Amino acid sequence: MDTLHDPSSDGRETRRPADPKTGKSLPPLGQPGYYPGFSTLNQQKFWDAATRERVLRRVNDVPPIRFFNPEEARLMKMLAAHIVPQDDRQPSRRIPIVPRIDERLHQGRIPGYRFSTMPPDGNAYRLGFEAIEKMAKQSYGRPFQELSWRAQDELLKSIHDAEPKEGAEEIWKQMPVHRYWALLVQDCVEAYYAHPWAWDEIGFGGPAYPRAYIRLEHGEPEPWEVKERRYEWMAPADSVSDPKGPDVAAHSEHPAHGQGGTH
Amino acid sequence: MQTIEFPMRRYSESEEIDYLIVGVGSAGGVLLQRLARAGFKVVGIEAGPFWDTERDWVSDEVGSHQLYWEDLRITGGKNPLTLGANNCGKGVGGGSVHWAAFTPRFHPSDFEVYTRDGVGADWPISYWELKPYYELLELEMPVAGPPWYPWGDPHSYAFGPHPMGGVGNTLVRGCTNLGIGVSVGGPVAILSGSRGKRPHCIYRGYCIQGCKVGAKASTLITHVPDALAKGAEIRDRSMVSHIYHDRKTNRVTGVSYLDQDGTEHFQKAKAIIVSGYAIETPRLLLNSACDGHENGLANSSDTVGRYLMAQAGNVILGRFDEPVRMYKAPPAHALTEEFYETDPNRDFARGFAIQTVGPLPIAFATQMMAARGCWGWGLRRIMMDYNHWSAFGLLGEILPWPGNRVTLAEETDQFGLRVAHVNFDLYDNDKKLIEFGKEKVEQVMRAAGATEIVQEARYAHLVGAARMGKDPATSVVDGFGRTHDIANLFVCDGSILPTQGSANPGLTIQALAARTADYLISQGTKIFNSDKRDMTSPPVRRELSPPGTHGTGVPRLR
Repeated sequence: MDTLHDPSSDGRETRRPADPKTGKSLPPLGQPGYYPGFSTLNQQKFWDAATRERVLRRVNDVPPIRFFNPEEARLMKMLAAHIVPQDDRQPSRRIPIVPRIDERLHQGRIPGYRFSTMPPDGNAYRLGFEAIEKMAKQSYGRPFQELSWRAQDELLKSIHDAEPKEGAEEIWKQMPVHRYWALLVQDCVEAYYAHPWAWDEIGFGGPAYPRAYIRLEHGEPEPWEVKERRYEWMAPADSVSDPKGPDVAAHSEHPAHGQGGTH
Repeated sequence: MQTIEFPMRRYSESEEIDYLIVGVGSAGGVLLQRLARAGFKVVGIEAGPFWDTERDWVSDEVGSHQLYWEDLRITGGKNPLTLGANNCGKGVGGGSVHWAAFTPRFHPSDFEVYTRDGVGADWPISYWELKPYYELLELEMPVAGPPWYPWGDPHSYAFGPHPMGGVGNTLVRGCTNLGIGVSVGGPVAILSGSRGKRPHCIYRGYCIQGCKVGAKASTLITHVPDALAKGAEIRDRSMVSHIYHDRKTNRVTGVSYLDQDGTEHFQKAKAIIVSGYAIETPRLLLNSACDGHENGLANSSDTVGRYLMAQAGNVILGRFDEPVRMYKAPPAHALTEEFYETDPNRDFARGFAIQTVGPLPIAFATQMMAARGCWGWGLRRIMMDYNHWSAFGLLGEILPWPGNRVTLAEETDQFGLRVAHVNFDLYDNDKKLIEFGKEKVEQVMRAAGATEIVQEARYAHLVGAARMGKDPATSVVDGFGRTHDIANLFVCDGSILPTQGSANPGLTIQALAARTADYLISQGTKIFNSDKRDMTSPPVRRELSPPGTHGTGVPRLR
């Protein structure tokens, strides 16, 4: 039977990554990832003023919630915690996801297109919330927020797999499930990896104007970057988003196109 | 630092100007510069802002969204295209602000695809007619590249190639191990050494976020300053809503546009050139339907909006044991065109190129989401490995199909104008080409030493949708960009391309604009007061290049 999900247990041990040798959960870190001590923000005096201002505002000013109602915001926060989990981060070093999504929807900002099969983004979010609650009720007999972490993860994985659990068939007729999932993950990813703390985590050098990158070849770090120091970790036991094995195949009949231009 | 001269010349709305250009992007910027230099009264009307690059642009993925066309469009079909950041610019400089700046020429074969392969279409002009303009624009941007480029019409570059980044290392290694030729350090419209007031590249990797450095060419910095100095006017943040047409004379008379406050203006002009790119150009022509042109301006052939093309732009990502750090150096710095031409041993026509790409973290995360289904802890894990991945782009030729088209949706935008609906499907030749190309790129990635390879299906660039041709029944414009239906209405941008090859279209678009400008200048006032169509090729006017560009390079005997 599912144990009740207690929101106050945020960051508890079973939701943190573990050391594969000992099986023990790793302590929350100020900076997860393989580049200990690397800080893009420490380089800000070498950035141009416009970039510095933009990035610092992102770190220091978290916009208020204006699009989502309180109930929607609470549910969205739970979804974001599954899509980009941050339980390995110390609470003060977690990156706000939902306020960024809310800000975009509040401003009515879109990426320049809408798929003909999709409702406008704001409606898509609201339909998605409705679908998730219907699935939770039908499959588990409870609201989403009362499900165990693992049940929540499994419900979301069924959306990821484009084989959603029962309960929201009518909604998926109005909104293709794979497009909804791509919208949700894209927005979460964009909020997380726009933050300089995420750049530090992955060893991305960040802004380099006007100083320049000098060591271009063979992955060499700049004098102010750091070399990688890897450690092994495994995803928390009650999570299903980091499957073992080489590949989770994308749905080849429904390729989820990225929005970014790369060439 | 360079500065752009303000205030510029201002024309009054009641004054009938010579040329009105809709959209100051890759083509619009070059046209504006040439026509102003030749002494015409010319105004460019641009939907987006006039950028102050130091104040407005940032080294940041999310912070650069305003460079892209973000207004609503509906995208559908079996293989819907993503738009916005993927292929559409907004603001003075247009797409040339956010392109990666790969600048290969089209091959001679690209101009006669139908004759050679029985598919697609022939161009009304040959490679050799466009070649002098390729040479000019390569100096005006300028293009850095290797001393010898072996594919298509082999040629050299006057400006030296760039150093490689980590992605280039892997592409060169993979190609070399398989005996495939590879071009290193270009061709790319980025300065490898400083030139005049423009500084050289600093390899910060944010090319498609707009080059704050000023090393990457955009018409904003290569042609617009000269245009303004020679008396051109640009009205920015102004969205053209309608082209007006006089039924009695069958000529266009001017445009209405909405400024940033939503106020409507009307500007009279003797001739109009639409340079809005492959979606906004057909949209404006269709939205300007009127008596005598009920299906849209210049659309008697029912070709406006049709034959829209994007190139297959699959990204193949490979993980390496050693770090790559692909965020350094321009994403565009090495490529191979070894598979560009039709090969009778393959079961499809035409071919593809393989190019370096260097996705920054958000673009990479999005690719991993699509390519590998990453989310949750799996996403966090793969992202911690960001520095171990390299990325190659397939650039594959998709043929022009009538069903791939821009039409008007019922929905309207913030100005009350019907938005574009884009339909895109792949056909048999396209699918075979993509499958073969993907497999080849994966072979190269494997030969480079990648231990894990994944791929994301996507598309790059947009061309077609107002194609040029000799036959008015099957094309919108003639070989100089003049619409078959209306003698003083022109289209000059990526939308006039009949086919697209496997080369990035930016250089070709600017070269076509320079050629059209030479034609208009040769025709003089005949454009304004005659409906006769003179198809004589104009002389190449090298003296119209921005100062200090043409005539550089190695001295040669005359």
